[in-house]
Amino acid sequence: MEDKIVLPEQNITLPFEEDDNLLVDVHDVSIKFRMPTERIDNLKEYAIKFLKHQIKYNDFWAVKNVSLQVKRGESLALIGRNGAGKSTLLRMIAGILEPTEGYIETKGNMVPLLKLGAGFDMDATGRENIFLNGAMLGFSKKEMMKKYDSIVEFSELQKFMNVPLKNYSQGMLSRLGFSIAVDVHPDVLLVDEILGVGDVPFNRKCSKKIHELKDEGATFIVVSHSMAAVKDLCNNAIWLKDGSINMTGTVDDVVAAYLKECNSL
Amino acid sequence: MAQNTLTGKQIKANGLQFKKSMVIMWTMVKKNVKNQYRRSVLGIFWTVLNPLLTMLVMAFVFSNIFGRGDINMDYPVYVLSGNIVFGLMRTATVTSLPCMVNNYDLLTKTRVPYFVFPASNVVSSLVNFGFSLIALIIVMLIRIPAGVEFHWTLLMIIVWLPSIFLFSLGISLALCSIYVRFRDIKHFYNVFLTLWMYLTPVFYAPSLLNSTVRKVLFVNPMYHYLDYFRSLIIGVVPSWQTHVLVYAIGIVTMLLGWLVFKSQRKSFIIYI
Repeated sequence: MEDKIVLPEQNITLPFEEDDNLLVDVHDVSIKFRMPTERIDNLKEYAIKFLKHQIKYNDFWAVKNVSLQVKRGESLALIGRNGAGKSTLLRMIAGILEPTEGYIETKGNMVPLLKLGAGFDMDATGRENIFLNGAMLGFSKKEMMKKYDSIVEFSELQKFMNVPLKNYSQGMLSRLGFSIAVDVHPDVLLVDEILGVGDVPFNRKCSKKIHELKDEGATFIVVSHSMAAVKDLCNNAIWLKDGSINMTGTVDDVVAAYLKECNSL
Repeated sequence: MAQNTLTGKQIKANGLQFKKSMVIMWTMVKKNVKNQYRRSVLGIFWTVLNPLLTMLVMAFVFSNIFGRGDINMDYPVYVLSGNIVFGLMRTATVTSLPCMVNNYDLLTKTRVPYFVFPASNVVSSLVNFGFSLIALIIVMLIRIPAGVEFHWTLLMIIVWLPSIFLFSLGISLALCSIYVRFRDIKHFYNVFLTLWMYLTPVFYAPSLLNSTVRKVLFVNPMYHYLDYFRSLIIGVVPSWQTHVLVYAIGIVTMLLGWLVFKSQRKSFIIYI
């Protein structure tokens, strides 16, 4: 029952045809990490250990033989326990990690939101960081100028735009990061556990904004441990276990099966 | 078949990616240059003032010792030109060395192409070099009474600049990749840089050295870059052999650096 693969309806109607709405196509992807058994970070030690033949590696397959497809407008959740390979898979889809085997095809503008405000410069002001972060997401200064006002308005940080980021609170940083991220209007958003930030009112605003994006046709691939958020946002889900797909199906089925196993532990 | 169609798409995607990389790079260069002198009263003027002051100190200390050697130009100009050329390479490589490790967040959480990090540091040092040129021109203006002349060959700096850019980028690519694995390379490199500077005729004339050391000088790429640059100041167009030499050094270093960088690319995320 649990291993039964439930295909979403779209897949059955158009099984083998080239489909332009196919935004993410992951072909039998695996990734291997080669970790030294002990961490050697200087040349001296490495030379000694190398001469003594004491350098050993552990091969570790973080993701093994995973295939999946995501079409426009349908959102996918990746669930599973810690270390199941969810974030690694997401990072491969984002193009940050290269798969050891298999390949991934993506279409459309894809924005990875794996950490809010990655690359913020703490010495620069909020204003400067909006442009900096925008550039990291691939937008020129001109394009960011158009977005600037709405980003500031959404973040509710008007008063702090000329203050260096090192004087921001953690909550303010996440708010700024989130506001930049959601103003990008991408085709595919890769989200790693950052669905809600800030205080309760701001959190509600975030959730509203995410639904707005979804209604506009944005596709989400979400890694989350919050089953409520996942059920709320996604149509389909994939349950990863030790790097492999344990179950694919509609979000309700997969979440139910996953929770059932969690409860039996 | 799927693989074939993929390569076509990849070329198109790579073009877009390259454009994106350039936007990111310029933003980072601007950030680097701004951050250098942020919150100092004189701000950006420091980029001009800094080489001027260093030159003053060196000229003051060394002019009586080294200034009388076989130097075919005004000593302060000689020292300053040596300093800014060596400084260009030094700043580029020293700032690039830890750049992969320092940008861990961006490396693992966003899709910024890796080469942007060392490249933006090298470009930043080129921008700084531009400011240093202002300092050089100021000193040359002041030294006109002492016989300094301006020559059109100064414009040829633009021909020379890409060669040292490639050279610095090559070293930077290699260093930042190695640094990810071996953190002690930083200390080695600092010692090496000091040695390198003394083996480059920054403030002395090559003729002061004995013949054995002068042979070492000839295999020192910085000697050739410096020599080229200084001949532009005194109005001599370097021979075509010199052009071939500096560009050959630049391109070979760049390729070697790129190879090291490429071979280590996949291990960045694991070892940082």
